[in-house]
Amino acid sequence: MSISWLDDFRQHAKTQFEQTGFPSNRLEDWRYTNVSAMAKKEFPLATMASSPVFEGSKGGSAFHFVLVDGFFNAELSNLPKTITVCSINDAIKNHADLLQSKFNQAITQTHGFIDFNTANFTDGLFIHIAENGVLDKPLQIIHVATQAAILPTRHVVILEKNAKATLIETFSSSENNAYLTNSVAEIFVGENADLTVYKVQQESETAYHFGGNYVQQADNARFTHHNFALGSVLARTDIVCDLATAAECELNGLYLGSQKQHLDNFTRIKHLQPNGISREFYKGILNDRARGVFQGRIVVAEDAQRTDSKMNNRNLLLSNEAEIDTKPQLEIYADDVKCAHGVTIGQLDEKSIFYLQSRGIDEATAKHILTFAFANEMVDKIAIPSLRESVFNLLLTQFPEGAER
Amino acid sequence: MSANNDEINSLLNQEYKQGFVTEIEADTFAAGLNEDVIAQLSKVKNEPEFMLEYRLKAFRHWQTMPSPDWAQLKIDPIDYQAISYYSAPKSKANAPTSLDEIDPEILEAYKKLGIPLAEQEQLAGIAVDAVFDSVSVATTFKGKLHEVGVIFCPISEAIREHPELVKEYLSSVVSVGDNFFAALNSAVFTDGSFVYIPKGVRCPMELSTYFRINASNTGQFERTLIIADEGSYVSYLEGCSAPQRDENQLHAAVVELVILKDAQIKYSTVQNWYPGDKEGKGGIYNFVTKRAYCKGDNSKVSWTQVETGSAITWKYPSCILKGDNSVGEFYSVAVTNNLQQADTGTKMIHVGKNTKSTIISKGISAGKAQNTYRGLVKISSKAENARNYTQCDSLLVGDKCGAHTFPYVEVRNPSAQIEHEATTSKISEDQLFFCQQRGLSAEDAVSMIVNGFCKQVFKELPMEFAVEAQALLGLSLEGSVG
Repeated sequence: MSISWLDDFRQHAKTQFEQTGFPSNRLEDWRYTNVSAMAKKEFPLATMASSPVFEGSKGGSAFHFVLVDGFFNAELSNLPKTITVCSINDAIKNHADLLQSKFNQAITQTHGFIDFNTANFTDGLFIHIAENGVLDKPLQIIHVATQAAILPTRHVVILEKNAKATLIETFSSSENNAYLTNSVAEIFVGENADLTVYKVQQESETAYHFGGNYVQQADNARFTHHNFALGSVLARTDIVCDLATAAECELNGLYLGSQKQHLDNFTRIKHLQPNGISREFYKGILNDRARGVFQGRIVVAEDAQRTDSKMNNRNLLLSNEAEIDTKPQLEIYADDVKCAHGVTIGQLDEKSIFYLQSRGIDEATAKHILTFAFANEMVDKIAIPSLRESVFNLLLTQFPEGAER
Repeated sequence: MSANNDEINSLLNQEYKQGFVTEIEADTFAAGLNEDVIAQLSKVKNEPEFMLEYRLKAFRHWQTMPSPDWAQLKIDPIDYQAISYYSAPKSKANAPTSLDEIDPEILEAYKKLGIPLAEQEQLAGIAVDAVFDSVSVATTFKGKLHEVGVIFCPISEAIREHPELVKEYLSSVVSVGDNFFAALNSAVFTDGSFVYIPKGVRCPMELSTYFRINASNTGQFERTLIIADEGSYVSYLEGCSAPQRDENQLHAAVVELVILKDAQIKYSTVQNWYPGDKEGKGGIYNFVTKRAYCKGDNSKVSWTQVETGSAITWKYPSCILKGDNSVGEFYSVAVTNNLQQADTGTKMIHVGKNTKSTIISKGISAGKAQNTYRGLVKISSKAENARNYTQCDSLLVGDKCGAHTFPYVEVRNPSAQIEHEATTSKISEDQLFFCQQRGLSAEDAVSMIVNGFCKQVFKELPMEFAVEAQALLGLSLEGSVG
């Protein structure tokens, strides 16, 4: 079935993509990330898998929305009854007016990955929480890749006034093969609504990942995002938030790179109206030949007086071949503001190492413990115990020596 | 609150005090730029053959380059064919050898700027190389410097008299094709200063250059080359101003510093080019490439700049820290008011072991101005134990201006220690209240707070300049304080 309004978007995006292709690193926002090797792979578009090898976990402490190779799998999923959660393809049929009014509206600036997504997305999540609605358990969006293909998915998340929800989005694969995840989420957080999103990216070690969240926050809306970038050979996360009056935005992130991984974290927080608050805290640990990128931009528009904004980026380099490129930016057009950013790149604190050594721990172990603790600070911010535990365990596999005590 | 802002704004209106025009006869080329103009320029300046080749190479490269557009600046297109590339005060047959031969009108102009050359010779102990439009008019104190072996002369003279030094070091730091404006400068530079400090010499006085654009429709393209040989030290000061004119004038300078083993250069700038009027009409486009090459071990360079003038500033004094244990410093105060725009900062490229750099940048934005800090700290993989500390603070005065901070940090060595901090705020109500409650007027309070904000930078300036810088800051922001 062809839907004309959507076809217009798709056609336009397709034309756009044909002209620009995937972003070139001559673009300022992509200067540290070169995707030409990925573009050369020319992955085919994914098709619906006949028999997924993935075992769904029914029930438990969360709802599940499962996407296998970018297609919604109802059998493996477990959705809430009282709140509108469905695949975006269902929403095109059943919630056409609402979807049409929001689709593509959160994306203020586009690039090749977004255009490709708009033109080609196969499926995705649609969630609509009505006024005062509360999603009583977290909803986990589970992406599983089985094919060597491009997996474009598109989510539209709408929280009306006073609504509240928590989403967990996980990316993983059943085979250890190369593929490209291309996931775009448009998020609308209504007046005084509250949304928390956890992203755990554990793609296969040869996979490519692009994940973008484009967020519109109404007055007094709260948006919190926790980003754990662990897998894939090249991964890029975009988090772009536009804040209305007294909106609050908190972005936390941890990127752990080893081998030849390249992990790019791009964030942009735009305060459009007065009294907004934003807090951003990203940490990176880079080992072997890994390269980490942090690009954080805070924009305070002329009307956004009394904005309070802080950004912090801390990095540890563990090897001679690792690299970190960081670009924290403040762009401020209002005068009555409190804005600050800080960056550190360095080693573990000598005094802390000495302290542990004085307690009988050898230097190597002391370093492992401190490195683990450096990363664990971000894990501790997870409010859901079961998720915190599983991310903690992922951390343990990266730094097994760190948790000996 | 808004009452306070109005008060501050009303204090911002002040006249540009250096905006006088000096009536002197000048030799000026017709506007336009092509290879013939460059050949003519080289001929007028009586340059050896290698310089003409150098200029033509730069010009040919420049023609292939696009004008840079990445800065946070709105620049009206510049018609490079509408600029005259050479303007010299009409001289007698020979260049002047002493102050007595200088056109009294020019001397008068400098006096208005507050640098009476004659007086300085006796009192201040600063050797001045004054560049009026495109040529150096007088270099004071030559004799005394000659005794210790310091060469301080116009670069055009150095090209004729010390070609071996010029050949070795010119463009060794900023290559002819480095960037659009540097290439243009290499093709058409008319004059500038040349300094050579021999081995082990501590330059007995501070060297100073004063730049002034006088003729209309001319660009000023000066070139400065300073070489500090092993174990030497020099402190160099640079000041700039221009008359008030309705059209924009281009100033595209290149400064190259070469610092050998154990040597040190301290380079201070007070830039007060005409900033344009309140509607943004006129003013200087200040597009400058400044770079220091710490070539030898234990070398040190320190840039200090106070930027209050120019309609548009595009300037990134940089340090390449090649020698082991070399040190780079950058201290900057950039003030923009009315419709001024500044995109300025530094680059610290760490190549050698145990290299250290410090960046202190203070931006003050008022009126409808846009003030941007843009900086790069790069630690290459060989630079063991590199250390950088960066602090960029921005102060906003009024709700129509902008302050932006765009640092880039690229680290490829795990032993590096990098700290970067940036803040943006306005003058706090609490601080103002505290001062006023203790009997200071609002304007005194603002002046005091702004001066305190800049103090970290001002204390790096040589004494004479520190006084001038504070006065300029007062001029730019407070008007009639006290």
